[in-house]
Amino acid sequence: MLPKYVKLGYRYLVDHILTFLFIPIMAAVSIQILRLGPEEILTIWNSLQFYFFQILCSSFLVTLIATVYFMSKPRSIYLVDYACYKPPITSRVPFSTFMEHSRLILKDNPKSVEFQMRILERSGLGEETSLPPAIHYIPPNPTMEAARGEAEAVIFSAIDSLMQKTRIKPKDIDILIVNCSLFSPTPSLSAMVVNKYRLRSNIKSFNLSGMGCSAGLISIDLARDLLQVHPNSNALVVSTEIITPNYYQGSERAMLLPNCLFRVGSAAILLSNKRGDRNRAKYKLVHVVRTHKGADDKAYKCVYEQEDPQGKVGINLSKDLMIIAGEALKSNITTIGPLVLPASEQLLFLFTLIGRKIFNSKWKPYIPDFKQAFEHFCIHAGGRAVIDELQKNLQLSAEHVEASRMTLHRFGNTSSSSLWYELSYIEAKGRMKKGDRIWQIAFGSGFKCNSAVWKCNRRIKTPTDGPWQDCINRYPVHIPEIVKL
Amino acid sequence: MVSSMAEGLIYDVKLSSVGPGNAIEPDMVHEPSDMDLAMKLHYLKGIYYFGKQAFEGLTTINIKEPLFILLNDFPVICGRFRRAESGRPYIKCNDCGVRFLEAKCEKTMDEWLEMIKENASLEKYLTPNQIIGPEIAFSPTVLLQYTKFKCGGMSVGLSWAHVLGDAFSAAEFLNLLGKVVAGEKPNRPIKTKSTNSESLLKDMEDPLSVKRAGPVGDNWITVNNSKMEAFSFSVNAAQLSHLQSKISSNATDFSPFEAISAVIWQCVAKIRESEPKVVTICKMMEQNKADGNNQLMSVVKAAYPIVEANPSELAELMKNSAFDQREKIENAIKKDNGVSDLIVYGANLTFVNLEEAKFYEFDYRGEKPVYVSYRVDGVGDEGAVFVLPGPPKNGGMTVMAILPENEVTELKLELKTEWFMD
Repeated sequence: MLPKYVKLGYRYLVDHILTFLFIPIMAAVSIQILRLGPEEILTIWNSLQFYFFQILCSSFLVTLIATVYFMSKPRSIYLVDYACYKPPITSRVPFSTFMEHSRLILKDNPKSVEFQMRILERSGLGEETSLPPAIHYIPPNPTMEAARGEAEAVIFSAIDSLMQKTRIKPKDIDILIVNCSLFSPTPSLSAMVVNKYRLRSNIKSFNLSGMGCSAGLISIDLARDLLQVHPNSNALVVSTEIITPNYYQGSERAMLLPNCLFRVGSAAILLSNKRGDRNRAKYKLVHVVRTHKGADDKAYKCVYEQEDPQGKVGINLSKDLMIIAGEALKSNITTIGPLVLPASEQLLFLFTLIGRKIFNSKWKPYIPDFKQAFEHFCIHAGGRAVIDELQKNLQLSAEHVEASRMTLHRFGNTSSSSLWYELSYIEAKGRMKKGDRIWQIAFGSGFKCNSAVWKCNRRIKTPTDGPWQDCINRYPVHIPEIVKL
Repeated sequence: MVSSMAEGLIYDVKLSSVGPGNAIEPDMVHEPSDMDLAMKLHYLKGIYYFGKQAFEGLTTINIKEPLFILLNDFPVICGRFRRAESGRPYIKCNDCGVRFLEAKCEKTMDEWLEMIKENASLEKYLTPNQIIGPEIAFSPTVLLQYTKFKCGGMSVGLSWAHVLGDAFSAAEFLNLLGKVVAGEKPNRPIKTKSTNSESLLKDMEDPLSVKRAGPVGDNWITVNNSKMEAFSFSVNAAQLSHLQSKISSNATDFSPFEAISAVIWQCVAKIRESEPKVVTICKMMEQNKADGNNQLMSVVKAAYPIVEANPSELAELMKNSAFDQREKIENAIKKDNGVSDLIVYGANLTFVNLEEAKFYEFDYRGEKPVYVSYRVDGVGDEGAVFVLPGPPKNGGMTVMAILPENEVTELKLELKTEWFMD
């Protein structure tokens, strides 16, 4: 009881230290002035000789300083709106169908089938996730045409939905960034979007491939930098992962894991630095922090695309994945902490750090309470283990990670777009309020950990469209440790 | 699993699954009735032939989509069999779905229909032929095959495990599919509990209408001593009325089924060494719910030699002297709680009356099938004869006979000479 109030008091004191210092000073000054009396004030006032030249110079200086300040301030980047793709019912894959197909396709490798079943039981996925049509075949039929078909379906659908929400015209889009890690045809997916929507010939288009599940935030970072350079512009960012060409057709266990987790999904986001969008935008981008651990060999190889002994290509996930993720997260937190944490938490962290270095290294490292800095957390739904690990490391409650767990359950691991499904969940539950701060964390091959911090810009009505529209009332669901198949 | 295709006649076969579009509530289970389990070694195979317009311009996803909607109302079909601790099979409704095959045929539909007049067994290439087993937990009970002909026509081949229901319920399933395609919502109350008859009647011997098979374990198919062959022929309206008038005696009029069955019974008796004195009759019950196994099963015993009898006497027997066997069949299953394996069709020479079946009501985008053929796989050695409605514009009947292959030619000859059929 007592420590709780002590901590609360400490927090209020340190966070508002400037106010606490300011008030006594102002009080002292006002008391002094009042004691002087009105005639004395007038005398002091008249003694200050005002020359026209001095007044002109002073006002010029003030204007100059103000102008320099406003010019060099980074432009505010707003997220006008975003849309997520909802797969059709014809793409649905229940556990039982997945396992039956697996048995038929891998009939010579019962151990691999057994492994997949164990993964699926503990995966945290639900019975309504989706795979693209080509993967429904026994055996799967991943042609390039099918991959393009999937790309068109997921990307165009998300963009159409976004255009309807924001009422933006294709001709108004200035910057286009598409990120899709494992499918990179020629012409690129961004060229595909330019072609479909007849975008302007002077559009600044970019296509990011190979950058893993954290590429969504890399695209946001790129869009932000571009919007600093180009005034009065907007940027369309599309994040997706195309499953069709990357379904592993072999039987190596470490490489079968992605088949069990990755599912169809995509998101389209509209960012803007225009004055006119200031009021209608949903969120304001506050920070983007990127951490790359690729310099470490183990981190570099922990998510590695390679051929198996039979020559089938797949993605090998190493056993150290969670440890490396933990380290990448620590790195990222060390950078983002000072930017977002209130002064009280930073001081505590500093004291504990000094204490450990000087006095006693056995002191437990202080984990800053990020719940003070954010109202909502969107942790990339990479898998149950990732969410569990982050919940533990950041000491988050079940409600904080609910958006991540429920997105994993309903949509599976949709790679870079999963953060947007999670944000959509929070909005659909009516929990987003003006002024709320959101932290999006994504992990990806490399090994990278990227964060974005958003602030809710306006009141958000519970949406009546979106991917959660028909099922939000069923959520949250209890996800058992092991689902009995 | 996928039947071998006769030298490229059917090619480009693709396999996938179609399940319900929405997730089912967890832990739903269906207990088949005793009657259902009695039929588990039989499989209904239906083929619906459609002209070009029905499926014109449709992609595979267009064809699959109405199934995803329809299957929301058929959780039992989408489930898979398991065995309880007692060994009695039950269905776990786990959304697994039906198997979906796409194939192409190098002939036009007209060429094909000509070919099967000579050789009805070719039709087995238009339906999937997977049985339930050897792993019953991973075997679909319903399979669909959509075969596209060179002319653009399409055949819809249905493989329907008889344990789910009789031909009337199979027809209902596809008729509802047609309704979903037309945009209607199927409004089917979901029942999972089947009704079983009362408690075990002790000391009843097996009924005449069944034969104990196997044990087949988890391979749910009849093992025959002789290879069975199917052949079919149509009896048009004129031939039918001629036949009926020939057979009708004094005041009794016989239905097409009774007339045809009597004739065939006599022909089979002529070609077999030992006459089939007992035959099984299956027909629709008065209020068939088209859901589950609800056929009336009865046996007819002839006290005199068949060969010399008057066909109208035989028809009379079938009409009036049939002994209801249903309770006895259910009892045979109850004796060991559904573990044992029975054969119903083909235990004796069996005649199945499908006159009232609504096969031609399967409407796909305004098109009705030009021809429908049904047969059963897993018929026992004594053979079975199915009387189905013929194409509506002909007004007659289609007869599908499944007999040991050495009897087929003789029977065809007998029917031709005696009754001007075929």
